[in-house]
Amino acid sequence: MRSNRMGWGLLTPTLVILALVGFLPFIYVLYVGFFNWNAFSNQLGMQWAGVNNYRRLVFDGDFLDSLWRTGLFAFVSVGAELALGFLLAQTLVKSFPGRTIFRTIYVLPLVMAPIAVGATWRLLTIPGFGPIPYYLDKWFGIDFRLATYADQAFATVILMDIWHWTPFVTLTLLAGLTALPKEPLEQAQVDGANRWQVFRHLTIPMMMPVLLTVIFIRLMDALRIVDEVFMLTSGGPGTATQFIGIHIYRVVVPKTDFGYGSAMSLLVLYFTIVLCWLLFIALSQVGKQRE
Amino acid sequence: MLQRKMVVLIGIMVLFSMILSACTTVAPAAPAAPAAEGGEASWWRTAAQSANCEGVTIRGVSESTPPSNFAKEVLGPAFEAETGIKVELETTSWDQMYSKAINDMQANTGIYDFVYIEQDIIYSYLANNYLTNMTKLIADNPNLASPDFDLSKFTSFIDNFKDANGDVFGIPMEAFIKVYLYRMDLFNDPAIQEAFKAQYGYDLAPATTHQQYQDIADFFTQYGADNGLELWGTTVQGNTGHSSSFYEFFETIAPSFGVYNWGINMDNWKATVENGGEMNSDKAKEALAFWVGLLADAPPEATASTWDEVAASFAAGRAAQGWVYGENAAWIATNPEKSKVVGNVGVALPPVSDGVMADAESGAGYIGYYDGGAFGLPVSSKNPLCTLLWMQYIGQESVQADWAVAGSRIVMESTYDDPKVQEVNAKTDNYYTLMREEGPLFRGAPPFPFHAAMVNTVQPFIWKALSGEITPEDALDQAAAAADAELVNLGYGQ
Repeated sequence: MRSNRMGWGLLTPTLVILALVGFLPFIYVLYVGFFNWNAFSNQLGMQWAGVNNYRRLVFDGDFLDSLWRTGLFAFVSVGAELALGFLLAQTLVKSFPGRTIFRTIYVLPLVMAPIAVGATWRLLTIPGFGPIPYYLDKWFGIDFRLATYADQAFATVILMDIWHWTPFVTLTLLAGLTALPKEPLEQAQVDGANRWQVFRHLTIPMMMPVLLTVIFIRLMDALRIVDEVFMLTSGGPGTATQFIGIHIYRVVVPKTDFGYGSAMSLLVLYFTIVLCWLLFIALSQVGKQRE
Repeated sequence: MLQRKMVVLIGIMVLFSMILSACTTVAPAAPAAPAAEGGEASWWRTAAQSANCEGVTIRGVSESTPPSNFAKEVLGPAFEAETGIKVELETTSWDQMYSKAINDMQANTGIYDFVYIEQDIIYSYLANNYLTNMTKLIADNPNLASPDFDLSKFTSFIDNFKDANGDVFGIPMEAFIKVYLYRMDLFNDPAIQEAFKAQYGYDLAPATTHQQYQDIADFFTQYGADNGLELWGTTVQGNTGHSSSFYEFFETIAPSFGVYNWGINMDNWKATVENGGEMNSDKAKEALAFWVGLLADAPPEATASTWDEVAASFAAGRAAQGWVYGENAAWIATNPEKSKVVGNVGVALPPVSDGVMADAESGAGYIGYYDGGAFGLPVSSKNPLCTLLWMQYIGQESVQADWAVAGSRIVMESTYDDPKVQEVNAKTDNYYTLMREEGPLFRGAPPFPFHAAMVNTVQPFIWKALSGEITPEDALDQAAAAADAELVNLGYGQ
């Protein structure tokens, strides 16, 4: 009984902070989502709208487009980061000359703030000034203009994300690989398993908890990406890189459509939770089947 | 070993810091603060003391522009020296400025004691009761009314910041026109003139029609390519992810084709042609097609250019002509540290379609954008009386000339005749004279209370047209339909 009380006592400060910074804003956003509230409306203050904001979302082409675009971005970038990260982790787990220096340089992007990453890539890609358009034109005759060509912008945003976050994936997987027990791997080799079989039937299943963690962290990050992309392309050209976070920002901040933006935020939160839950179930099932 | 590594690391950091410091450009000395005459200094000090403002810090937010930076770097410290009131003016990007100011005023947090109010947003702010009535505040505090501050000395631009009763809600701090700049060295080159005439059959001169503008743009783009120069025919403020492209089209290009007030019918608040608007009219579509077409003659950075980059491109000598915000005219024409075209900047009225000049002269229309802004005092300010002193300080006649020279802005009639302004006027191909005499042909944004909401609704379609995702015709059809729907959402044009 005493230990229960003490436990709750120790937890109370954390719970209070969580309630203040997490739960109360969530309730407020939920509340605002049921109102029309726009600083530029001819009706001042909040007007009850029922579920109209949620109904609008279903017919909002821009919202649905940005949702699809975000999903595509998250799928491609997280997938590429996982593949590259695993490859590099497998490489770095072995010893080779210059490994420490490589590791140090390799993780540098990880310590940069997202806004600085966006600014760096922007400087690199400004037509007429940046080195990337200059050399692409000089060496390959490619007219590289992020603010004009949608495909280039989308691809560059994905590249930037891969550049920024693959080190994180690598380091996490490297920690996982280093912690794997050696015996099963050695036993499998003694039994005649080749490298691919060891990787597929032993390394991957044993790494599943780490992989799941990495996927969740990166997926949630990718789904809410704003800073880097806003700095690099401002969501353009047109709406080519206007991911859901930027779309919500435009609705809530410059447009001051607080009610609609709140409804949008909640729906996106719901989608993120459902997506992560589905992914968790799927990957857990795969893991169980392999065991 | 570890200790030695640390020492080496710290040594490298110190060395690096020293190199960086050495590379830093020494900031030019700020122009001398306006000297107080006679008993003026004591009046400001006495007023600050009587309002218990000594030692108080007032905070403001504004866009990082030459006029705002002058207020921050010169007027703020001079005011502090006079009154003991510290001014912290945050100068940031245009988008951030609005976000910060609106969020502060909407939430009533009182972070800012004064905010920049661009002429186009004032109607939204007034509709939301965000701003303090300056006329009333001065009348209610006669002991804080400066003898050197007189609202009647401002140009008619101050009318933009008045309500229906004539009360003032913002003290003008900048006003300028978006002019047509061209490279005089190129336009006056005999060889170029001859080549141009041979190709187009008329003399090379600043364009007065859109066709001439197009011809000149085509000519100089080709000229740059033929001669291996980093030179293009025109600037385009065509950022495909920033509101600046919306503004260039609807406030500069469309009016020059005869489409006013963004194509929104102010009688019924509708934008589509079928509902009486003009946003997707044939004239508007012709204007957008013309403007988007100019990208072929613009430097590659055009689709990433806001007003700042347009000025920078022109100053770097990368364009032969362009529509450039007048606040940049002075530094482009006179500052050799920033501009490669000093002494070669020509200023003229922008090209227009038939009938537009007549519309402008009669008051039925306008040929381009008259931009400017004021500092307003939010109702949420925690230091309204101290801020009132600051507002009056920057509204003195005596501080205007240096400000005009630094930022190509003029808000008082008397500033035009100041010798300092006259001197710069001569170096800028008479930009100030043009503004004084032809200013009435230009106009600011329409008085829409829903300004920002409409910009954010329509701009994605302009961006898509600029990036070639959709045609200019489709862009305006979709934009007008979206504008009609948004206006209904906002409670207009039901």
